[in-house]
Formats: sequence, structure tokens, C-alpha cells
Amino acid sequence: MSAIEELIGEFAKLPGIGRKTATRLTYFLLKQPGDAARRLADAVHGIADRVRPCSVCGNLGEVDPCAICADPRRDTSVICVVEEASDIGAIERTGEYRGLYHVLGGHLSPLDGVGPDDLRIEGLRVRLENGTTIREIIVATNPSMEGEVTATYVRGVVERPGVRVTRIALGLPVGGDLEYADSVTIARALAARREMAT
Amino acid sequence: MPPVSTPAVVLHAFPYGETSKIVRLLTLEHGVQSAIAKGARRPNSKFGACLQLLSEGTAQLYLKPTRELQTLAEFDVIVQRPELARDVDRYAAGAALAELVMRFSPAEPHPEIYQLVVAELDHLATVAKEELDAAALGALWGTVCALGFAPNIGVCARDGAELPGGTVAFSVADGGFLCRRCARGTATSKLTASDRQVLERLITGRRAEIGSLSPRHAAAHRRLLARFVERHVADGRELRALDFWQGHS
Ligand SMILES: [Zn+2]
Ligand SMILES: [Zn+2]
Repeated sequence: MSAIEELIGEFAKLPGIGRKTATRLTYFLLKQPGDAARRLADAVHGIADRVRPCSVCGNLGEVDPCAICADPRRDTSVICVVEEASDIGAIERTGEYRGLYHVLGGHLSPLDGVGPDDLRIEGLRVRLENGTTIREIIVATNPSMEGEVTATYVRGVVERPGVRVTRIALGLPVGGDLEYADSVTIARALAARREMAT
Repeated sequence: MPPVSTPAVVLHAFPYGETSKIVRLLTLEHGVQSAIAKGARRPNSKFGACLQLLSEGTAQLYLKPTRELQTLAEFDVIVQRPELARDVDRYAAGAALAELVMRFSPAEPHPEIYQLVVAELDHLATVAKEELDAAALGALWGTVCALGFAPNIGVCARDGAELPGGTVAFSVADGGFLCRRCARGTATSKLTASDRQVLERLITGRRAEIGSLSPRHAAAHRRLLARFVERHVADGRELRALDFWQGHS
């Protein structure tokens, strides 16, 4: 395969990029002056080599534990459980949350073969068992059926005396993925979070 | 060509591209259809949160028989079933039901299966917790029968001989009960008289007479159903949601 074909093929694997766009991107790079293509390659190398999941919370970053877990100013009594590391950015942008996070790495989806063992749920249980200061778990999975059932499952795992389990107030009627929601909506949903019914 | 309008249930929905979703719909009038819902993952999408798994509504579809992927113009939701997501067991049963229908429905429209799925989803969402096992087993056996794979429980599945009363042997390979002679030397599951009665009621749609099953019995019935479906409906192909339901509940 030629170098051009190879890059088109790789671009085409990205979400939202078809063969046509992949071809356009490739030829765009070829026409750029200087070392534009090399800088892109270095940046891709950078994420492949340096970025890894935090061994505590699953957040993505270049240090382990991640900057949030390592920050002494964060409130260690609250953990916000999210589906994807990209959801952390959406919540951080609100500037309203000072606690820690836990990234599940997806949601339960029996039809896609994703069960509890495929998510970082056991790690959450371990954190709770070792962290005596944890008083609240905020479940901020997406407002979808899959997000709801995942929240239900997580509640079952983390429930214990002295720990509140709450759910952000983004109901099914809101829809959309958390990462697409604007800061005001997320801040409101956090502030209006409710105790999850058992 | 204007879109067709049809009642539909969302059997599966997954992200596509940056903001779209692909849905698998069970429609009343056009069988199971795959369709793209463009922009459905944007918070301000006209689809809003309508395209949730196992919800039911009216779909406006641009249908082209020659295409595998249709275009969903609109989906007006009528019933969402959030109760299913508040209990992992209910959800698992609903997903297993959706999987069966999605994978094995005939291509042509099948209104009976549509009505059955809608009724069973409602039942799974609302049935008392202690009757959930029987409800899930009844929903799945009912679907297996509606799809044309009913097990043989009236006479011996191998030679048509009369079946003994009381305890009976069920052969997954033969697809039903066996007479004493055929059961000899065959790998079967022995069903006690009461388990046999439960299975007969599940298959003939009389599950209201079952009530609650003990966890051990429910597990045994789930295993039997899963093995039967794998052998006769799925031809050995993997059924992830059925596995999840069987193993999790
Ligand atoms: Zn971390
Ligand atoms: Zn026989």
C-alpha cells in the first residue's frame, strides 16, 4: 500500500470521517508548507506514547495519578462517576465541582456484549473500601437508557452506610450525551442532583 | 417520495459518526429496519431523547427497499420505559427480547410479533419483582414460539410416541420432550413434574399460573431456554444479550 493510501485508510477509521473526507485531509496535508505533516505525526505520537489512564480514576493524562487525583485542594469526600474521560472535561468546565472522578469506560450494553466486568466498576468498589472519607458518590452517566441502567448497577455496588448515592438531574427528556451538554445545563444538573431510590 | 409513517419500537441504537445514531427498529408495517437518525446525539436534536432503547413511537421513515440503511426523518415517542433501566434484571430481559426479534424476525412484516413485543416490554417494566423471572421466561419463550421455533412438548420430539406423565426428559438437540425409550442413552435435562408444568405454562402462554419461581428453578429454566435458543434459533451463533440475561439475572 502506498503512503497516501495508508494515511487515507487511517483517517477513514476516525469517527465521522468517511473515505472522501479522509482523502481530502490527506491531500490537504500534502499541500501544506514546511513540516505541518510531521507536527501532526508528532502530536499523534505524543498521545500514543505519553497519555495513559490514571490508575486511580481512569482519567486520561500524562501523569499517574492524574492532575485531579493528585491535587490536594480537591474534595476527597465526593466521587463523580462518569462514562468517559471526555465527560470530565465537560464537568470541569462548569467550575462548580471540586470533588474527584471515576471513569467507567462506557456503559452497560447487553446487546453489544458490554457487561459489568468490561467497565471499571470493581475499581470504584475498591476505592470506596479504602477511602474512609468518601461520603458521596454522584452518578453522572449519560441521560440515556444505557446510562440509567449503568447508574442502577453502580448504585447496587457502592451502596453502604454513610455514603450518599446521588444521580445528576439530567433526565431522559433532556437526551444527548453529557459531553455535548453546555456548562450551564451540567451545573444545574449537578446542583439539582437527587438521592437515587433503592 | 414522502416518508412512510409506522408504529415502531427501538430495538437497538448506537452512535454513528460524530453526532448521529443508527437505530434498529421493529416496525408494525415494515418488519425490522435499520435507519440512520442524523444529528440524533446533539442535545438540541429534533430526535431529542426519543430514540432510547425499547421506547415506542411513530417513525417517519424514508424507505428504499434496495437499501440496507434507511433514513429516519422523525420519531414521535409514545411510550418510554425508564422503569426497565431502574432494575438491571428487567433491562437484561428487555435487551434479550430485543435481540431475539432483531436477529431472527422474518424480513416481511409480522404484526403479531410487534404486538407481542410491545405487550411483553410493558409487562417486564411493571410486573412485581417476585414474578419477574417467570415474566422474562414467558416473554422469551413466547417470542421463540412466535418466530416459529416452538419446542415439541405434546408428544415425543423424536418419534411422536406418547409421553409419560410426571417427570420427563427434555432434549435440546431433539427440540423437546422425549418418550422413555428415546430418552435412553440421550443427553437430556430431567424435568420434575412441577418443572415440566412450569415449562408447559411458559410455552403455552399461561405464565400467570406460575407465580414466583425459586432462584434455583429460575436459573435452571433460563439455562434451558438459552441452550434451546442457541441450538434451534441462533444456529450456534453468539447472542450477547441473551448470555447477559442468562448469566446476570
Ligand atoms: Zn485520577
Ligand atoms: Zn420417542
